Amino acid sequence: MSVAVRNRMSYGRDQRLRQTLRIFFHGGYFSYRALFNWQSPRFYVPTMLAGPAFQVLFFAYLGRYSHVRDDAFYVVGNAVQVSGMSGVFGVAITVGGERWTQTLAPLLATPANRMALFLGRALPHIVNGFIVSAFGFAIGRLLLDFHPGLGTIPELAVVVLLSTTTCTAFGLVVGALGLRWRDVFTIANPAYFLMLLFCGVNIPLSALPKWMQVVGSGMPLTHGIAAARRVAHGASLSSVDGLIGKEALIGLCYFAAAYVLLRVFEAEGRRRATLELV
Amino acid sequence: MAAIEAENLRRTYKQTSGFLRRRTKTIEAVRGIDFAVDEGELFGLLGPNGAGKTTTIKMLVTLLIPTSGTARVLGSDVVDDARTVRRKIGYVFGGDRGAYERLSGLDNLRYFSELYGVPPKVQKQRIPELLELVGLTGRERERVEGYSRGMRQRLHIARGLLHDPPVIVLDEPTIGLDPVGARELRHTIAELARAGKTVLLTTHYMYEADALCDRIAVIAKGEIVATGTPAHLKSAVADRTVIEIEAYGAPEDAIRRLRDAPGVTSVAVEDREHAQLLLVQAPQGSVLTQQLLGHLDGVRVGRVTAREPTLEDAYVSLVTEN
Repeated sequence: MSVAVRNRMSYGRDQRLRQTLRIFFHGGYFSYRALFNWQSPRFYVPTMLAGPAFQVLFFAYLGRYSHVRDDAFYVVGNAVQVSGMSGVFGVAITVGGERWTQTLAPLLATPANRMALFLGRALPHIVNGFIVSAFGFAIGRLLLDFHPGLGTIPELAVVVLLSTTTCTAFGLVVGALGLRWRDVFTIANPAYFLMLLFCGVNIPLSALPKWMQVVGSGMPLTHGIAAARRVAHGASLSSVDGLIGKEALIGLCYFAAAYVLLRVFEAEGRRRATLELV
Repeated sequence: MAAIEAENLRRTYKQTSGFLRRRTKTIEAVRGIDFAVDEGELFGLLGPNGAGKTTTIKMLVTLLIPTSGTARVLGSDVVDDARTVRRKIGYVFGGDRGAYERLSGLDNLRYFSELYGVPPKVQKQRIPELLELVGLTGRERERVEGYSRGMRQRLHIARGLLHDPPVIVLDEPTIGLDPVGARELRHTIAELARAGKTVLLTTHYMYEADALCDRIAVIAKGEIVATGTPAHLKSAVADRTVIEIEAYGAPEDAIRRLRDAPGVTSVAVEDREHAQLLLVQAPQGSVLTQQLLGHLDGVRVGRVTAREPTLEDAYVSLVTEN
C-alpha cells in the first residue's frame, strides 16, 4: 500500500472520528435544547430543584419521626437518587420526545452514528443529574443534620458523578424501550420508584428480602449510594473501590444494553412501521 | 445507472385489534411496483390518498423495510446498505411537524448538519446559502414554534439539502401551503432539477406534476397503473371530452346513474363550497348533455360546459378506471 493511500485512509478515519465526536458533543447539546423545557428557570426550578429538595426533606423527617436512621443516611440516599429526575426521566424523553415532536423519522433518516447520536444525548443529563444531586446535598447541609467534612466533598463528588452516570445509562435503557412502546413514561415512572425501593435509598439493602437484594445489587445507584455514605462519613475513595468498581461495571452494562436495545428497536420499528406512531 | 430503481417492491402492514381475541388484518399498501428514475430526472409519483406513495417513499429513504422486492438508490440497496443510501438522499416531507420547535431554524439546520456529517467550515457557507434559497434569511434565529406552515415547509427543504445529496425525495412538499408559497416552492424544486439533482416528487396536485415533472408514475391501490411523460399520459384521454356539470346536492344514486349511463367513461365529483362539480368523461363527439341532465332529474343544476381533457382528467381516468 502506497504512502499516499495510507495517508488518505488515515485522513478518512480522522474525519469520521471528528464527525462522531461532533455528533456526540454538539448533537447532545442541541438535542437537550430541542427537547427540554428545563432550560427555562420556570420549569427547571420546580422540576429539578424543588421536587428533589422536598424528597430529601420528606424522607429525612420521616426517618427522624420513626427514629430509624440519622439524617445523613436519608440525605445521602435521596440526594444521590434524585439524579434520576434527570438521569431517568430526562434521558427517557430524549427518545420519547422525538415521537411527540415527530422528529424521529428525519432523525433516523440521517446516516449519523447511532452510538454517538444516542449516547451523546446522555451527556447533558449526567451534568444536570450531578447538579440536582449537589442541590440535594446542599439542602441536607443547610436544613438538616448533615455536616460532612470539607475534605470529603471532592471524593463525594466523584462517587456522585459516577452514580449519576450509571443512573443515566439506566435511563437510556428506559428511553430505548420508548422506541418499542409509544409512551415512555409508563416505563420511566415505575423505574424511578423502583430505584427508590431497591437501591438502598431509604431502606438498607440488608433489611430487604433476599430476592429484592439480588435485584437491587443489579440496579444503578445501589453501590454508589453505599459508597457515598461511607465517603460522607470520612472513608477514603480507595477504601470503597470495590463498591465503585461494581457501580462502574453496572453502568457499562446498562450503556451496552441501551445501545443494543436502541439498534434492535430501530430495526424492528423499520420492519413493523412503528417509528412514526405517536 | 438509474438513480432510483424499484423492482417488485411490496409492503404490507399488519393491524391488530381486540384485546382478548386478537384479530390481525393484513393491508397491502404497495403491491409489487417497478419503476426507475434516471439521474437528473424530475420524476413524479402521483396518486390519491392511501395509494401507497408515502409508503414507497419511506422504503426508499430507509425508514421502512420492504416486505419483498428490492430498491436501490444510486446502486446502493435500501436494506443492505441503508447508511450509504442515507448519505446520498435528501428527504423532505410535507406538513408542519418534524422540526424541533424550541430550536431556531438556524439551530435545526446546524443540528442536522452535524447528523449528516457536514464539516463546520462547509456548514458556515452552506447554511446561509440554503436559507437564502428557501427565503428564510433574516428569520433564521427565530424559534420554529413561531414559524408559519410555509416557513416550516421551506425549512424542511433546506434540511433535506444540507449534505448536498444527489437524490432528493419530496413527499407532498406543497401540502397545505398557500398559493404563493406553493408557487415559490415549485420554483425551488425546478431550480434543484436544473442544478442536476435527481428529484422524486409525490403529490396529488396535477398541475404541480404537469408543470414540474419530466415523467410521472400514477399509483393507485398500491400498484403503478401508468408511467410516462405528462404529454403521454394526457394523450391517453385525448380522444375524450370532459363535460363539467355544476350541481347542488346531487345524491349518491344520481351520481351512480351517471356512471352507469351509456357512453360515459368515468365520473369524478369535486366538492365545492356550496356545490358539486361533476366531471363526466365521454368519447369525443358524444352528444350526451341532455341524457346526463336527465339522470340528474330533481337536482338543481348550474353551469354545464364541455372542454378538452387535462392531465388531471387523465389521472382521474387512470385512478378510477383501474
